[in-house]
Amino acid sequence: MFYVKFLAKRFVAIVITLAAVIAISYIMMYYSPGGFMNTTQLASALAPLAAQDPAAYQKLMEQFQSRYGLNLPLWRQVLQYEWHTFTFNFGNSMQNPTLSIVSQLKGALPISVFLAFGSVVVSVVIGIPMGVIAALKRNSWVDYLVTTLSMFGQAIPSFVLAVIFVLIFGVVWQNVLPVTGWGTPADAVLPVLSLAAGNIGVVARYMRGSLIETMRQDFIRTAKAKGVKYWALVIRHGVRNSLTALITVIGPQFAFTVVGTVWVENIFAIPGLGKVISTAFTNFDFPMAITAVFILGGTIMLTNLVVDLIYSWMDPRVKLQ
Amino acid sequence: MIVAIAVTQPQAPARQARRNSPMYRAWQRYRKNWFAVAGLIWVVIFFIIGIIGPWIAPYSYTYADFLHMHSGPSWQHWFGTDTVGYDVFSQILYSIRYALEIALGATCVSFLIGVILGLWAGLAGGIIDVIVMRAVDFMFALPSFFFALILMVLLGKGIFPMILAIGVPGWAGYARLIRSLVLAMRNGEMVEAARALGASQWHIARRYMFPNVVGSMVVSLAFGIPYDLTAQAGLSIVGMGLNPPMPSFGNMLAQAGANILGFPWLLYFPAGVFAITLLSFLFVADGLQEAFNPKGGV
Amino acid sequence: MSQPLLSIEDLRVEFDRGEDTVYAVNGVSFSIAEGETLGIVGESGSGKSVTLMSAIGLIRENGRIRSGRAMFQGTDLLKLSERQLEDIRGREIGVVFQDPMTSLNPVMRIGDQIMEAMLAHHFCSHREAFERTLQLLHEMGIPEPKARFRNYPHEFSGGMRQRIMIAIALACEPQLLIADEPTTALDVTVQMQILALLQEQRRKRNMSVAIITHDFGVATNFCDRIIVLYAGQIMEVADTGTFLRESAHPYTVGLKHSIIEIGHRARPLQPIPGMAPTITEMPHSCSFASRCPFAAERCRSELPQLREIGSGHWVACHRAEEVLADVI
Repeated sequence: MFYVKFLAKRFVAIVITLAAVIAISYIMMYYSPGGFMNTTQLASALAPLAAQDPAAYQKLMEQFQSRYGLNLPLWRQVLQYEWHTFTFNFGNSMQNPTLSIVSQLKGALPISVFLAFGSVVVSVVIGIPMGVIAALKRNSWVDYLVTTLSMFGQAIPSFVLAVIFVLIFGVVWQNVLPVTGWGTPADAVLPVLSLAAGNIGVVARYMRGSLIETMRQDFIRTAKAKGVKYWALVIRHGVRNSLTALITVIGPQFAFTVVGTVWVENIFAIPGLGKVISTAFTNFDFPMAITAVFILGGTIMLTNLVVDLIYSWMDPRVKLQ
Repeated sequence: MIVAIAVTQPQAPARQARRNSPMYRAWQRYRKNWFAVAGLIWVVIFFIIGIIGPWIAPYSYTYADFLHMHSGPSWQHWFGTDTVGYDVFSQILYSIRYALEIALGATCVSFLIGVILGLWAGLAGGIIDVIVMRAVDFMFALPSFFFALILMVLLGKGIFPMILAIGVPGWAGYARLIRSLVLAMRNGEMVEAARALGASQWHIARRYMFPNVVGSMVVSLAFGIPYDLTAQAGLSIVGMGLNPPMPSFGNMLAQAGANILGFPWLLYFPAGVFAITLLSFLFVADGLQEAFNPKGGV
Repeated sequence: MSQPLLSIEDLRVEFDRGEDTVYAVNGVSFSIAEGETLGIVGESGSGKSVTLMSAIGLIRENGRIRSGRAMFQGTDLLKLSERQLEDIRGREIGVVFQDPMTSLNPVMRIGDQIMEAMLAHHFCSHREAFERTLQLLHEMGIPEPKARFRNYPHEFSGGMRQRIMIAIALACEPQLLIADEPTTALDVTVQMQILALLQEQRRKRNMSVAIITHDFGVATNFCDRIIVLYAGQIMEVADTGTFLRESAHPYTVGLKHSIIEIGHRARPLQPIPGMAPTITEMPHSCSFASRCPFAAERCRSELPQLREIGSGHWVACHRAEEVLADVI
């Protein structure tokens, strides 16, 4: 019952946030030069069709006109658009007006989700041991190495790293790993690594600091007094307690990584949602852009919800609200 | 060197007072952090180049040397030329100028909005506080880069639009910080204790509030600038940044990525300068955080 | 008295603080007999915790044991490796710490924390450990052990948490229980209950108990014998009875006068003037001299040695006889 109430509350919050994002986006695009429905863009995209089948062209144009209700006052347009979006009726895109947005995004979404989650998983798997070792061997050369590497990972944005990877694997070690496209598992390696580097840095540094702090706690002394063996002490008491703090950085890191996919997919020419977003924005394909933001935003907020649930499960003192 | 003299004359009362000031102690801690000092040096150089870059650039960023297109580094073109014949060295100098303009401008915009809303929320309290904090939650729910993209659509391309597009969505963190500082000041225990000891208002403000507030703000600004630098380049990566031939790190990186097979030098220098710059800013920010708040945080 | 269970001999412990060194324990020797309850009394910073914690390898990172022996059942604990100490801690020697709020792992069920003590030493099978945990919780006076087994520390009150701490310490039936300020963090009424529980368990299990406390009243109510520490040195050792009747060290006299005794309201409370020092150089004179009403020239130049002035009554004071005469 408690969880039902909690989930309901959070769901309402997510819907309100997404509705606000859509409204803000729509209004801004409405006032942008060219308006929300950029008719010149649409007309040029439909030029071949107009030449081929004027009747179908006319029909499609009318369809767009009525869908976005361009004759209606702005607030009615926004409400109508909200309604369409929340009933998952995304309509057609303007770059490919004959194709529905859903059909264009169907293949793109899993790629981006895979890249984002994959890199978060990789960063946790690599970052936690790095942080633990650095914390246990504090002020040794291992610690300095880990800390310095983490700083590099944190400071250098994924797109710079991606370009460097392209240099290394496209020029120096050709044919070791593919640097463009998507299809085989090997294609995922470099994008995931580019995205993970920053997260590894954050996770490792956070884990290090958190574990050092935890190992100073009284309950660690209690566990020692119980005669718990060293590694059991470190893992069951030290790392276990540090993880509860670490989980709180995963949410923001995921959001950060989603932005990273937009950049990295551009550099590695991966047909994911990030690539779709940038193409949509640069081509004033606003229905497509808003839909992509809606989906990515929803994914981020749902992930944060899951992170909060995991947090409360890992730390019994935390009260969900 | 001056510092060394100060240490050898501890009895001088003026020096003594300065030595005990929180700012001075923060600087002492900062100085010990080798990374932070190295970062600061590069950041200073970066700023200087940003100011004088256009004057020392050997070529204008619009000058294309058609006789030496995509040539490697040479005496004529230190960092080589790109596919159109633009001089990469000059492009970098101009990029630094625009990157700094945009990042500093955006950080100022974020900070200004954040200070105004944070002060308002903290001082007014009540319903205004609730509304501002809801708005902060809203801004944190989604990456501000998405808001920047949407704003770019409204504002069109250019330096000033980029400043606004990156700056406006970045206010939430500053607002939350300022609000918490206001609240901490209004019922801060340290201030309470100082007052109980009979310290004057001015003394309290100078000695306890000011260093604390300045420290927190400087640290958050130091983290904000590299973020805005990244966002600025990131907008170019997705094609929403400055239009060529306006040079920017994002454009150069995107171009280098596309043309890397034949012309790797297009990458070395822009990527190197950009990476070192961001790293330096992070070292500085980290050093400042440790200097102002030695016990706190990770 | 029978064979001592633990005997500490000339223990010296230092803490490195970067710019200077703190001499926390300076040549402390004493022993705990089997079945005995020993009170170690002192102000904070007097080295009372450090003495016993260094014997079982639980001092802070910057601590260093300079010299001494800690003989426990024929082995010198100070010579053991960390691995060997792990086998003794929790198995032969149980420890109860001061603050039950922070001394329990916040994200581990309390039942698991008690069981862990037994499983770490392969004391019994998993099944038996579970049964024993329920039994221990019951013995510690925690109602509904089965339901409480799955609770987390924050779901208990301070007193209940201290009972859980005691259950952990007693899980493997240790021969020695070290209670480091077991009641300091608790309410006064709860203090009494915890002390009564410790008393009861000690009798039932026939173990030795060392209580470290700054509360002279707790020590006199609870212990067979008392050691008074000051600035890392033993000031006085005696049976509780001797202490109450004829304490011979000015510091001990001061301690007695500084406690509130119910029913003796007429006597004014007399705090000891000054503060306990932090020793940053090896003492060459009596550490208490600066606060001592009896201090003479000799006290400021010569370090008083511990000497026996009555049966089992040891004092480190040049003027013990005069103090004794004055008190009586």
